[in-house]
Amino acid sequence: MGSMFRSEEVALVQLFLPTAAAYTCVSQLGELGLVEFRDLNASVSAFQRRFVVDVRRCEELEKTFTFLQEEMRRAGLVLPRPEGRLPAPPPRDLLRIQEETERLAQELRDVRGNQQSLRVQLHQLQLHAAVLGQGHGPQLATAHTYGASERTPLLQAPGGPHQDLRVNFVAGAVEPHKAPALERLLWRACRGFLIASFSELERPLEHPVTGEPATWMTFLISYWGEQIGQKIRKITDCFHCHVFPFLEQEEARRAALQQLQQQSQELQEVLGETERFLSQVLGRVQQLLPPAQVQVRKMKAVYLALNQCSVSTTHKCLIAEAWCATRDLPALQEALRDSSAEEGVSAVAHRIPSRDMPPTLIRTNRFTASFQGIVDSYGVGRYQEVNPAPYTIITFPFLFAVMFGDVGHGLLMFLFALAMVLAENRPAVKAAQNEIWQTFFGGRYLLLLMGLFSVYTGFIYNECFSRASSIFPSGWSVAAMANQSGWSDAFLAQHTMLTLDPNVTGVFLGPYPFGIDPIWSLAANHLSFLNSFKMKMSVILGVVHMAFGVVLGVFNHMHFGQRHRLLLETLPELTFLLGLFGYLVFLVIYKWLHVSAASAASAPSILIHFINMFLFSHSPTNRPLYPQQEVVQAMLVVLALAMVPVLLLGTPLHLLCRHRRRRRRPTGRKEDKAGLLGLPDASVNGWGSDEEKAGGLEDEQEAELVPSEVFMHQAIHTIEFCLGCISNTASYLRLWALSLAHAQLSEVLWAMVMRIGLGLGREVGVAAVVLVPIFAAFAVMTVAILLVMEGLSAFLHALRLHWVEFQNKFYSGTGYKLSPFTFAATDD
Amino acid sequence: MLEGAELYFNVDHGYLEGLVRGCKASLLTQQDYINLVQCETLEDLKIHLQTTDYGNFLANQTNPLTVSKIDTEMRKRLCGEFEYFRNHSLEPLSTFLTYMTCSYMIDNVILLMNGALQKKSVKEILGKCHPLGRFTEMEAVNIAETPSDLFNAILVETPLAPFFQDCMSENALDELNIELLRNKLYKSYLETFYKFCKNHGDVTAEVMCPILEFEADRRAFIITLNSFGTELSKEDRETLYPTFGKLYPEGLRLLAQAEDFDQMKSIVDHYVVYKPLFEAVGGSGGKTLEDVFYEREVQMNVLAFNRQFHYGVFYAYVKLKEQEMRNIVWIAECISQRHRTKINSYIPIL
Repeated sequence: MGSMFRSEEVALVQLFLPTAAAYTCVSQLGELGLVEFRDLNASVSAFQRRFVVDVRRCEELEKTFTFLQEEMRRAGLVLPRPEGRLPAPPPRDLLRIQEETERLAQELRDVRGNQQSLRVQLHQLQLHAAVLGQGHGPQLATAHTYGASERTPLLQAPGGPHQDLRVNFVAGAVEPHKAPALERLLWRACRGFLIASFSELERPLEHPVTGEPATWMTFLISYWGEQIGQKIRKITDCFHCHVFPFLEQEEARRAALQQLQQQSQELQEVLGETERFLSQVLGRVQQLLPPAQVQVRKMKAVYLALNQCSVSTTHKCLIAEAWCATRDLPALQEALRDSSAEEGVSAVAHRIPSRDMPPTLIRTNRFTASFQGIVDSYGVGRYQEVNPAPYTIITFPFLFAVMFGDVGHGLLMFLFALAMVLAENRPAVKAAQNEIWQTFFGGRYLLLLMGLFSVYTGFIYNECFSRASSIFPSGWSVAAMANQSGWSDAFLAQHTMLTLDPNVTGVFLGPYPFGIDPIWSLAANHLSFLNSFKMKMSVILGVVHMAFGVVLGVFNHMHFGQRHRLLLETLPELTFLLGLFGYLVFLVIYKWLHVSAASAASAPSILIHFINMFLFSHSPTNRPLYPQQEVVQAMLVVLALAMVPVLLLGTPLHLLCRHRRRRRRPTGRKEDKAGLLGLPDASVNGWGSDEEKAGGLEDEQEAELVPSEVFMHQAIHTIEFCLGCISNTASYLRLWALSLAHAQLSEVLWAMVMRIGLGLGREVGVAAVVLVPIFAAFAVMTVAILLVMEGLSAFLHALRLHWVEFQNKFYSGTGYKLSPFTFAATDD
Repeated sequence: MLEGAELYFNVDHGYLEGLVRGCKASLLTQQDYINLVQCETLEDLKIHLQTTDYGNFLANQTNPLTVSKIDTEMRKRLCGEFEYFRNHSLEPLSTFLTYMTCSYMIDNVILLMNGALQKKSVKEILGKCHPLGRFTEMEAVNIAETPSDLFNAILVETPLAPFFQDCMSENALDELNIELLRNKLYKSYLETFYKFCKNHGDVTAEVMCPILEFEADRRAFIITLNSFGTELSKEDRETLYPTFGKLYPEGLRLLAQAEDFDQMKSIVDHYVVYKPLFEAVGGSGGKTLEDVFYEREVQMNVLAFNRQFHYGVFYAYVKLKEQEMRNIVWIAECISQRHRTKINSYIPIL
């Protein structure tokens, strides 16, 4: 937990990996997931790097894998998940894997090809049979005779040399969507010297490649003359029709049909044999593929990581730079030692100084992960910045609950979250793919706390599904009031509204032990009482929350050694905030404690006092809360306003002064740097000079402090803070607004649905029957509107209060996450 | 047409315009070209293209990689994008897109007819056809013997039909006639397309008309240049020029009389737009007239993206993509033939 408060110390580590052992070292690091490699070859394009050949070989293999996978998918087989831990294979194993998969793929390709060609043949045969079997016969006959009778006079005229003119046939099949175009083209191209009949196949055939059923149009074209025949053949070719020989005699056709059927039976047998063999091959693929896939993926990852290393001048070792948590350094050393032990030369890691901001590493467990997620989605914290997540664990559910306060609703939410928490280890729950479910499941601990806190605030508000519960006896006594003021029965009958006066002795016995007195739920001024209470509560919570945020800034300043900011920023900020709004909180609490029921009639108005405080005036009708109030208020305002110039000018002036002082005497920085560069990295080519340049540049930047920029930045910060104090305080009123809305909605739901249902039938039977659908409606609406919809809106507002109002007081969130090189993702 | 296409343009075409602008943003940048030029082999080229928006479009190609494979895959990609635009378009954008495919269809028809003349197999030529200009009846082109045959039998149902009005003749289809047919078709096509854009009005007309005018003028120049020293008579030549554009009508009449490149150049001197183009020919880097025209085209197409709410972006995108493909193919050719001296003479898309 200690690491939750700020991100862990991360060091830049230089790894010297002996060339022989580099592969095993990096693969071991990938298994452990300790380090994030820095790219030392950023200026080198992807294909000029050292291990690009190996990467390419892995990619080739992956291509084969995709082919195999695709085949498996087509065969409807599921690949099992690989079992056990599969380390990245040694490079020489790649050859074996490659050979095996290549062989399998080749075999598969062959068998597939065989099967394909057999299928095509079969398809062809079936089509042929279909064309022959299709009922073109009678149609043809009529067409024939019809054509002849039409033609008789014409033919006779030239003297009948065409008597022996024979009608020729082209028969075939075409895809249905092409048929109309084909028909029209035939007609146009041959000027009508043909008769074509099209008919659709009754039974769809299996497509030889995809295996999907497809219908076909068979056609029979009869024509006269050889030229037209050639044209027709060309046209059918270009439409990719299957054209079959068509015998004229009925008997010959029948014989051909029989022969075809026999052939197709034989073919089917051969096909069956081929498919059996195919399934054998696929079975072997099923065994081999998953582990090989994981191994090659790891291998590729290793080579990609190695590509980020630079080579020492002697070519004896690779040099890598990586970010690693200081805590993990011993583990890193050990891993390197172990994995390079075989080679005789051991890999070394040592820390090197860095000018770049290290990445942020905050270790989370399943409980804190969702809270850290809330913070990270605003922005990943700067390195070693104060992490708001641990405080969010409490404040987030609490602020949510303030808006969602209802025992019943909170309990439902708590139970839902509890169910998820209890079932979290079940594989079925984990494996669920539904995105919405995953969102809820990811935030189960958050939901758990939100539900729990809602139960608590529900007790404070004394609301359970909008009904008040009286656990303790109420602090108000109606009997005492009735006795004291002598209400008669007639008076009671006439007046539906009665006033309880706390000033009458015995009526108000003392405050309710916990939360709101249940008697308020009967009162007509229930809402105005609650409004006053919730509004003041919101302001108090807001000011406390913001002040806490400002105080957290202290830890940032201390840690980063900017002590001047303590005095020049945090102190003025805190004074400004507490002097104005802290004082408002003080007034609220003071009035609660100080003004009793007896003096309620002449109670001073805080609002008027607060306005007068800024106007430096006083209104005679408004009694002061305490003596010397005006003097105190005037002092506070002057103090707060005096803080504004301090905040505005303090830091920039300080920086300028320090800068000037530093320039006057040359610092020892230069020698310092020379010392750094004296490290044994002189052997490194390329990156060393890069680093040096970058470092030098940064140095210059620091040296050239631009006053206008610093002033501008601070001015923006000041304006944002001062105006923010006002607007943010107002923003916390959303706590009041949403809790009011929630209470009113649940009240409405109760009054409009359940109360009507309860009032419907007097007899037990009727009431029971009626209540079933009514309760169902009540339950559904409670879950849909009050739990889901209202819950989401309250969640959103709580999120905003944390991101904007709380975190902008201290959190910059400009860092980036440490994303270690790990195989964890590939293992899945 | 009413002013203010911006009011209703997005209702029908907003999605596609957004899409095409996104596609345009994925064109290769100058940095990409610099990297491509450094490649040693086609494999390197492939790896580099993988880092761009092309992604692993070559991943399923079996080795060895050839330039023509790259070209085909790139065309397929463009065709896929274009089909997507077309399938999601509404009138009148869909007509506009159909017009765009017509030029490719003309090229394909001519290619097939030439193939048939040289007795090449249809399959072989089909591979060379541009996928954007594909249509079902295309392969039947070789059964036609005269242009009117071609029209009556095959092309009457295609979008190309209206362009045939001027070129119905009973001449046999030999090489010269095919070339004439192509130019006549193209002329008719350009004129119709121009009219369509002009009638559409609005920003589309403002953007498309200059582009098409340039296209027409370019054709006129190229026809003139190619007809030097052939048997084509001057009158015939004049009938091939598209009758619009900056050169129309005086310039075209003069061009029809031109006899060599120098005369052409002296005609061009009257036109401010084309004078610098002709002056750039042969200058630094040995640019050809074609290169200069391509550069000018790229420039105009890039400018089309400066306006919103018009169809010109679709035209411009396809043309720019084509230019990019030409560039990649050029670079790939240079790499595969180890002819690195000229590798830098691709047309940069700025």
